[in-house]
Amino acid sequence: MGREASHAVCVKIKHMAKARALDKRRKSIRNIRKITRTMELIATARFKRAMDRATAATAYTRRITQLVTDLVQSGAEVDHPLLKPHEEQNNAILLVLTANRGLCGGYNGNVLRAALGRLRDYETQIQGEHLEAFRLEVSGKRGISGLKFRRIKADETFTHFEDKPAFEEVEVLANRYLQAYESGALDRLDVAYTKFLSASRQVAVVETLLPLGSLGEDEAAAKKPVKDAPKKPAAAGQTMYEFLPSAESILREVVPASFKVKLFKCFLDAAVSEQIARMVAMKSATENAGDLIKQLSRDYNRARQTQITSELMDIIGGAEAIS
Amino acid sequence: MSVAGQLHCIVVTPEKTALEETTDFVALPLPDGEYGIAPGHSPVIARLGFGELRLKTGGHTAARYYIDGGFVQVNDNVVSVLTERAIPADELSLDAAHKDLDAALRKPADTPERIAARDRDMARARAQIHVAQKTTGGSVSGH
Repeated sequence: MGREASHAVCVKIKHMAKARALDKRRKSIRNIRKITRTMELIATARFKRAMDRATAATAYTRRITQLVTDLVQSGAEVDHPLLKPHEEQNNAILLVLTANRGLCGGYNGNVLRAALGRLRDYETQIQGEHLEAFRLEVSGKRGISGLKFRRIKADETFTHFEDKPAFEEVEVLANRYLQAYESGALDRLDVAYTKFLSASRQVAVVETLLPLGSLGEDEAAAKKPVKDAPKKPAAAGQTMYEFLPSAESILREVVPASFKVKLFKCFLDAAVSEQIARMVAMKSATENAGDLIKQLSRDYNRARQTQITSELMDIIGGAEAIS
Repeated sequence: MSVAGQLHCIVVTPEKTALEETTDFVALPLPDGEYGIAPGHSPVIARLGFGELRLKTGGHTAARYYIDGGFVQVNDNVVSVLTERAIPADELSLDAAHKDLDAALRKPADTPERIAARDRDMARARAQIHVAQKTTGGSVSGH
């Protein structure tokens, strides 16, 4: 009898403890869900802002491309030191654009993986003595710590590019690269970042920005005028532009401007993609928390029910013993 | 397109479209002086210098901006200005411009590249001072 009673008490405590523990867990997951949902909302708002900025930059690049097309059609020679690859490719810079914050799914990992792939290519290409001429520059705390973990030394790090990269800040970098390239201290600039293709598709890529492959927004846009070019002269009423001071001098200024805006676009794309990645990650985290809460509620109710049943059994058992 | 007899002026920077307006007259800074564009202007592509962009609508100045180099394309009564920075003239800081000029003057000028960079910074600061002074002086109506 005495043993039975103590056993019943044990079971009761166990059930109570289980129910309470389940309730505690459920509460903490509710808090997590609250946080992830808030983060999702913040990322959504930031994404919209970043998207507007990216669209504005596209307007600029489109006009630059149009300008170049008009210049080329009027017979200006596109010839600029930035467009010509250097004969020796010894000095290279790899710029990696990652986020300052985590909790954005595979965003940082993907960029780092792409960058490391390029890094390995370099190491096989450039042997021994030229290895010091290779520089690695990283933007974003996550990228910096990711590389530190892999014991790769970054030559320069930036953490001041947040979700709204300013053109002035990017221009500082761009001017440094331009100067280095023109003076021969730099032969090649690669940027590893997440390219924004559409709201549902962003890919981590490594692009070569110097030497500039084309002046346009991208290859497709640059090829288009070339394809159309043979047809154009046939069409009458071609606009004849007057160039001040000359087509060549304008082109000389267009090329650096085009590079700057291209680099700026990389930063904007990275910012937009980061917010999308965070939005998606936080959305699934919120959903996951919801599922978990459902499961825990079920377990909790079952545990509570079991506890009540065992209590009832206790009472009935006690009453029977007395009678 | 634009209303006949009027210009459509668009100023684009990499960050945003700074200005989009219909106006009667646009004055632009070229590296060697000011360039005025009235409706019906022939197609032009030009390089811009540092200086003031002025819009004139209905006989008085409608807007004044400081333009930091770039390009302009005029075609079919549409003036598209591409620049890296377009700052409204009244937001320009005279003190900051003076400081920039001092900093530029203190730069070393020992190699041709450095001289070019120094000249560029000086021209930029002087243009900013010029535009900012016009704002504080209040002598806008004279143009």
